[in-house]
Amino acid sequence: MSAARPVWRQSRARVVRQDDHGAGHRWLELEVKPPFAPPRPGQFVQLRLPSVANPVLLPRPMSVASVARSRGALRLGFLYAPIGLGTRALAGLGAGSEVELLGPLGRGFPLDHSGTPVLLAGGRGVAPMLFAADVLARRTRSGRAPRPAVLLFGARGRAQLVGLEDAHRRLATLGGRLHVCTEDGSAGPRGNVVQLLERVTPGLAGPLVLHACGPHTMLRAVALWSLEHGVPAFLAMESMMACGTGVCRGCPLPRSARARAAYDPVSAPSLHGNREWAMCCTEGPVFAAEDLDWEHIS
Amino acid sequence: MNGRARRSVPVGAVDLAVRIGPLRLRNPVLTASGTFGYGDEYAHVVDVKALGGVVTKTITLEPRSGNPPGRIVETVGGMLNSIGLENVGLERFRREKLPRLRALGATVVVSLGGETPAELERLLGLLGRERAIAGFELNFSCPNVAKGGARYWAVPRRLERTLARLRPLTKQALIAKLSPDVTSIGDLARACEQGGADGVTACNTFVGMAVDLTRLRSRLGRATGGLSGPAIKPLALARCHEVARAVRIPVIGSGGIMDARDALEYLAVGASAVQVGTATFLQPDAALRIVTGLRAALAARGIGSVREWNGVLCGEPLGEGSAAKVPSRRRTR
Repeated sequence: MSAARPVWRQSRARVVRQDDHGAGHRWLELEVKPPFAPPRPGQFVQLRLPSVANPVLLPRPMSVASVARSRGALRLGFLYAPIGLGTRALAGLGAGSEVELLGPLGRGFPLDHSGTPVLLAGGRGVAPMLFAADVLARRTRSGRAPRPAVLLFGARGRAQLVGLEDAHRRLATLGGRLHVCTEDGSAGPRGNVVQLLERVTPGLAGPLVLHACGPHTMLRAVALWSLEHGVPAFLAMESMMACGTGVCRGCPLPRSARARAAYDPVSAPSLHGNREWAMCCTEGPVFAAEDLDWEHIS
Repeated sequence: MNGRARRSVPVGAVDLAVRIGPLRLRNPVLTASGTFGYGDEYAHVVDVKALGGVVTKTITLEPRSGNPPGRIVETVGGMLNSIGLENVGLERFRREKLPRLRALGATVVVSLGGETPAELERLLGLLGRERAIAGFELNFSCPNVAKGGARYWAVPRRLERTLARLRPLTKQALIAKLSPDVTSIGDLARACEQGGADGVTACNTFVGMAVDLTRLRSRLGRATGGLSGPAIKPLALARCHEVARAVRIPVIGSGGIMDARDALEYLAVGASAVQVGTATFLQPDAALRIVTGLRAALAARGIGSVREWNGVLCGEPLGEGSAAKVPSRRRTR
């Protein structure tokens, strides 16, 4: 394991299209050529603007929302909110503009994990979960054990259910089921995704496996629920990052006591973390619920 | 320069080789410690043999797990880090990293960190005769540790005595990396020279802060961090100039170097070589691009060897009318 070499590449990519996706979000599609490998759901890229258009220093980690192949190239989709200097500048790039990418980075969702997969999304965290739903549906079609995609999508209110129509459309195409909830009750039942999960679970063939992306408060709630109920759960975490590749050591997350005890400094890759901290970029961004210390994650 | 007709120098003919004491570098561009792993992590995207050298992440006797988050904050034109010397420790470095470095064929400078002179002595005693290592950079300037950091080492007598104890332990280059947050970096550099250092790196990051106004606390896990990136270039360039005027041993310039023009500035004010750090986080091949850019820039100026450029602005105080070329005093040949 420690001998495994990274597969990410440094590459240029071209903006194919970019448009509004509702609720102040943008949908971006980039075309990138081999040897850039196709990302898996939960993996991310480091995106950097061309110098002339770049008001910030560091590249921005962006979770991949879709992957399609077109004429030997890859077409990667991203859902983001232009809220900072960097993302606002990114929002200004039109078709044909060039950006720089590092990727694919990190470890994605273990979609092969045994159990009926339940995908949970909070707000714009829906992006990688729709990508996960795509992949699960493809596997179902290719004759593996049927894995009906079930997506639970929650947000503060209807407006924050980013790209809800797109989610409906994609889940319908994939033969999956979409359940929504909002904290203010403006769409679906009132409550959070964990409450929705408790409501939906009885109708699902168990045992279950959870895959989730959203704000850390939501992920903590999902993780604690999963630990309490003995259901495996995998959570896509966020952190400030500089390099995104394990070199700068800038994105530690606290390990659980159990994970610290199990940590083996001989076999663990040095680009991963250490006994105390897991690096979000290389070991994650997707972590098993039992591997992190949820009390000390902000 | 000075209106003289330029010689025409083909890009491929530009000689970039420099020396830092016994350390021969094929070109003057090194990676900065902490920004290039232990030398092999970027090897699948960067031809590390084409770099002047690779300075590893700082190694300490025991593994260190580093500081709590947040460890990285972006600021205007720069980034603060508070990593806290996280590293795999000497034993794992020897067992796992050294064999890979041997296989890589890169010029490897190992950064060593210690809380006391005795710790550095022990590290160098164990690594000093290792043939895969071309030199050692002594990290006298980490801003992010409670013990053995920049403050502890900012004492000329301590530096001189430590270097004198370390000198007999290796024939490879010994380079002292200094903090800019001192009263006189020139005094510290002179102390290192007196103690037997082959070169001085000027400089490490600047101590900086950033406040989260919502939660009213530092945006880093500790109160302060080290600032790097383009924001510090003018500051670090002045430190480099100060050090170059203070010592006769070669100086390695570091601080906010993003492209070949930045590197040319450092070399002009007296650096024999440069280190590229934060730029690598933006583009893993940043240092390699700077090698290419440097060769082209020198050729375009009709300069056949980087050693002709080295220190052209070092000899005198840099004021009005002082841009005349002066002979380099540095032992870079």
